[in-house]
Amino acid sequence: MVQINLPKNSQVRKGRYFKDKTGSKNLRKVNIYRWDPSSGENPRIDTYEVDMDNCPSKVLDILNKIKNEIDSTIAYRRSCAHGVCGSCAMNMDGKNGLACTTSHKEIDGDIDIYPLPHLKVKKDLIGDLDGLYKQYKSIEPWLKSNSKSETKEIIQSKENREKLDGAYECIMCACCSTSCPSYWWNGDKYLGPAVLLQAYRWIVDSRDEERQARLKKVADELKLYRCHTILNCTSACPKGLNPAKAIAEIKKMLATTNI
Amino acid sequence: MENKEPLSPHIQIYRWHISSLVSISHRITGIINIIAITLICLWVSLLFLGENNYEIINLFLSSQIGKFIILALTWSFSFQTLSEIRHLIMDLGYGFELKITKIISLSVIFGSVILTIILYLVGKNFI
Repeated sequence: MVQINLPKNSQVRKGRYFKDKTGSKNLRKVNIYRWDPSSGENPRIDTYEVDMDNCPSKVLDILNKIKNEIDSTIAYRRSCAHGVCGSCAMNMDGKNGLACTTSHKEIDGDIDIYPLPHLKVKKDLIGDLDGLYKQYKSIEPWLKSNSKSETKEIIQSKENREKLDGAYECIMCACCSTSCPSYWWNGDKYLGPAVLLQAYRWIVDSRDEERQARLKKVADELKLYRCHTILNCTSACPKGLNPAKAIAEIKKMLATTNI
Repeated sequence: MENKEPLSPHIQIYRWHISSLVSISHRITGIINIIAITLICLWVSLLFLGENNYEIINLFLSSQIGKFIILALTWSFSFQTLSEIRHLIMDLGYGFELKITKIISLSVIFGSVILTIILYLVGKNFI
């Protein structure tokens, strides 16, 4: 259901202000969403003054700097710092992306950092992605080839391999799904761009033998057709992929095949 | 329940893109058009009941507010038409690249204004 306002316990309050202690002249204000599960209070926005003279170029570097030098209580996910693992997906300056690949120079004014939108917050910038992973499991993201030998290589032509380009690169960071208003309102039923892109990846794989069954499974008013081509997913994807187009391709396949 | 996990902010903080703006406008103009067309049909039906009904509505539409409503509905209709063409193109699987979708969305916005002016001028000359 469309619920524009946040529930009462989720409304964001003003938080603490951390004044700069380094005496630097090149300061930037960073507003970060904080929620402490042990306090029982509402979420708040803490503001940090960060010395930009001694800070590398990405938003993740700012977060690391704050955690190391200003406030060690802040919690966020991060791992590879090279845009490969998808851990540091968050909402920066109103747009989803990876903190490790988003340059803070691209952001004008204060830097606002929130967790990925419309998720249950575990702590600070950490959102609960269990629902998304369950949906990912539901599309059975593995190769199904019953007739072929399990010990022999399944040959794939270059053309067929090319069909997977733009789909296999997905790192499941959830930037796209959590940017989608349709997924906000119907996240329990609608699969969302990330999972549908993966569904597409297995549907077009020439080695897979369950294409029909996969299509049939995804052909559902709520699972698939809640995509209204808003295209927030495509503009959010930090890997430059196009989930909206993949969903459109699935819709096209369903319109042109008998299942 | 105490200590319940809060929901992270969504529409309150997410930045609008041209594509999302056109998408939501498509829905809003769609609803407006359905109501408007129903009302226009009712008006036409009232003509069967005599000249008086025509006079009243004509008087209303000639007023400042009436003219504004006509203009607004013309825009809403123009926007819906062009936006629907955009959706048809996307249903065929084209126009998903970010650059192209931006161009198409902007064409819909500016095109709807131009179409409104054309329709208004044509309509004015006919009446």
